[in-house]
Amino acid sequence: MKFRIAKMLLRLLAAPQSQATSSAPPSSPDDRATLERTLHELNDCMDLVHRKFPSNGMDVVYFAYLVGNDDLYRDIIQPFSNATVQEAAARLACLPYTEVQNSNVCIDGILEGMAAIFLKGKAYLIRIDEAEGRSIAQSETETVISGPHDGFVENLEQNLSVLRRRIKSSHLKTIELPVGEISKTNVVLAYLEGIANPDFVEALKERIKSVEIDSVMDANMFVQLIDENPNSVFPQFLTTERPDAVASKILGGRIAGFVDGSPSVFCSPTSFFDFFSSPDDYYQRWLLGTSLRILRLVGFLITICFTAFYVSITTFHYEMIPHTMLLNLTESRSRVPFPPLIEALLMETTIELLREAGARLPTKIGQTIGIVGGIVIGQAAVQAGFTSNILIIAVATSAIASFVIPSYIMSASLRLIRFGLIILAGVLGNLGLLMGIGFVIIHLAGITNLGTSYLTPLAPFNAGDVLDTFVRGPFWALRKRPSIVKSSNRTRNKMRR
Amino acid sequence: MAKANEKLNRIHIALLIYMIELDVTVFALPRLVAKNIGTNGWVGLLALTCVACFNIWLFQIVYRMGKGQSFFQIVEAVVPKWCAYPFYLVLTVFWIAIGSFIGKDFILIFQTLTFQSSSSMMIFSLYCLMVYVLLVKDIYSILKAVTLFFLMTASVNLLAPFFFQDWKLIRFTTSLFQGTEGGHTLHGWTEVYTVFVGYELCLFLFPYVDKKSKLFQGMYTGQLLIGLVQQLAVWVSFGFFSFPELKVLAYPVIHTLEYIEFPFINRVENLVFPFFLFSNLVSTVLFAFAGLSCLKQMFPQARPKLLELFIVIAIFGLGYIPKLLREAEALVFHSFFVEIGVAFVLPLLLMVLLQIGKLRKKGVKA
Repeated sequence: MKFRIAKMLLRLLAAPQSQATSSAPPSSPDDRATLERTLHELNDCMDLVHRKFPSNGMDVVYFAYLVGNDDLYRDIIQPFSNATVQEAAARLACLPYTEVQNSNVCIDGILEGMAAIFLKGKAYLIRIDEAEGRSIAQSETETVISGPHDGFVENLEQNLSVLRRRIKSSHLKTIELPVGEISKTNVVLAYLEGIANPDFVEALKERIKSVEIDSVMDANMFVQLIDENPNSVFPQFLTTERPDAVASKILGGRIAGFVDGSPSVFCSPTSFFDFFSSPDDYYQRWLLGTSLRILRLVGFLITICFTAFYVSITTFHYEMIPHTMLLNLTESRSRVPFPPLIEALLMETTIELLREAGARLPTKIGQTIGIVGGIVIGQAAVQAGFTSNILIIAVATSAIASFVIPSYIMSASLRLIRFGLIILAGVLGNLGLLMGIGFVIIHLAGITNLGTSYLTPLAPFNAGDVLDTFVRGPFWALRKRPSIVKSSNRTRNKMRR
Repeated sequence: MAKANEKLNRIHIALLIYMIELDVTVFALPRLVAKNIGTNGWVGLLALTCVACFNIWLFQIVYRMGKGQSFFQIVEAVVPKWCAYPFYLVLTVFWIAIGSFIGKDFILIFQTLTFQSSSSMMIFSLYCLMVYVLLVKDIYSILKAVTLFFLMTASVNLLAPFFFQDWKLIRFTTSLFQGTEGGHTLHGWTEVYTVFVGYELCLFLFPYVDKKSKLFQGMYTGQLLIGLVQQLAVWVSFGFFSFPELKVLAYPVIHTLEYIEFPFINRVENLVFPFFLFSNLVSTVLFAFAGLSCLKQMFPQARPKLLELFIVIAIFGLGYIPKLLREAEALVFHSFFVEIGVAFVLPLLLMVLLQIGKLRKKGVKA
């Protein structure tokens, strides 16, 4: 039932566009939509159905696996089976049937799941597609403890209906842009008119239009085609599978991008620190939310620095270790045959292997791999003198800290950077570690998203945004939309304490 | 697209001034003050901060007289190119050399502390690589990086309360400006003034600011900020070490850091000192940026990133000149002495050029 409502909603949304298309005259007589041309263009497709109606001479063409049987019966078979030519023509002149004149429009419609009807030299399209896919379920990559548990799915229409139900505003605008010369994937930009910056909407539209590629499979793939620093290791568009997060971003003045066939939705403009906030922060008391955010930032520092710091200290700066710890560390390191740099790189690689194996295997086997890797190999490696137990603690803590970061893509990027920092720390100690951090900062400073700084609100500094970046301020204090969105309507909350 | 709308604002300019001025000279600042100004030298340092502010005011006059014109526009409106270009070239070489000496001096200090057996040029090559990756970015990106570097470097100041227990006000003594080595000389006071070198590079920010940027508010704020930190360094050292001890310690600031111990970490200076890498890096990059601006004026058609590469190669090459720490220090101080002269002469020269330009215009009108 819900799905039906969504489809009706989309049909209404799609109708004016179709009418507009149909009103466009064909560029030349050769482009006219005819049955012969359509069948010729779509020949050798075993799933193409060409159905004839002898009572009125009507022809219907559609793809068997794209249309819904109920809709097919209701909108085509039942009304036209016994209709005369005049009756059929009269019905086709009304909605939801749309006359098309251009052959390409007709073929694209069939490919999208519509049925093409040919009668007396005229062509009509009707949407009878049935979206098959999983029903709305919880996102497995972004779980929350409290708050809504629904997640986006692969169906674009379903995702848009979920969003429309969350933001019941006539200002919520959607723009459809086809991408992929062969796949013709629909990308829909959703934003709030009057709140989102129109320049950003235009810029994003232009960038999407400039994409020239055969196909787009996923939002995470698509954003790599439109970001401003394609060679950067860092993700520049926040992608999420959570409808509440997307609704919140749109209400905050950002633009959300839905890609058909992908459960991920991208949001822009995005800053580096957006990847460290989770919807969970807002569903808990502000002090708890703040402590979680700080914990994640500490996790970020541990992820990139802890193992590198161990390597630096054990290679160059033994004097930094207090006497009480020095004996344990020396005893632990004494049996290890490798220098700390090699030891750390080996263990980090092992952890990454375990993580990758756990991600690729079914859940139950994945857990087993975790136990085998974490306990058996870890303990055995120490006992065999392959590594020191303090390094095991450092590597494990770094790995755990990386999973505290809500965005999996950001977490993976940081884990990759960690290897560079370990190598620099192994070569130049603390100076090398800080040089590595310096390189990362310089790189981050050069990244922009829709022309806005990736380091907002630190650089350029904005004290107001800090309240909703490094801490989760109480709601009465979160009065303004973030400065990064450059909205003309910045006031979000007029409540007093 | 929006990048073109970006303008520098006063906070970023203030942080930039702070970071440019916080270079290798700050490690020796308390010794320089004790040696050249004497007891309670912080008062003298305060007076020198006012002199630096006066110098900034001279640049402000240039900005107002020139109505925001760039350094090159002011010069080339009066001086023919064949005459101006050699002048630019000399400044370029000089600024690149200063940037190089600052970097090499920092690396040599670090080498003395930790990597006695490593090649300083190997470490310096990495430093140069950092200079390159920062220099090839636009000024807005450089300032964004500077903001984060500032946050990291400024956090070192939070260590000041650790000295409180052994800090004695009595060590300041009741006498003023006594106990200097060789009395009060212009040379001695100028030696202390070297810690302020760097603000004059604001001349090359003129094209990137407008009225909203409040360039000079930012510069004065930055100067006061760095002045406060320098006072903090001097106050901590003067209350922590005895006056005669201060005069013989090479780097009192680093020596104070050696004193700090945590239950989980000893010898904190090994961790804290590398944080100064960022402030020295910013100093080198901004001197290189000044040189780059001159080179771009002379070679406007140069391929992107080629001039930057040339500058960084030059910085690396000049790094071979000082082989020992004392040589690097001497070069830094000599070049800073010249730079102080440049900082005062340049705005006066530009004022004269602006005046000549004005008179010429009047002549043409008449």
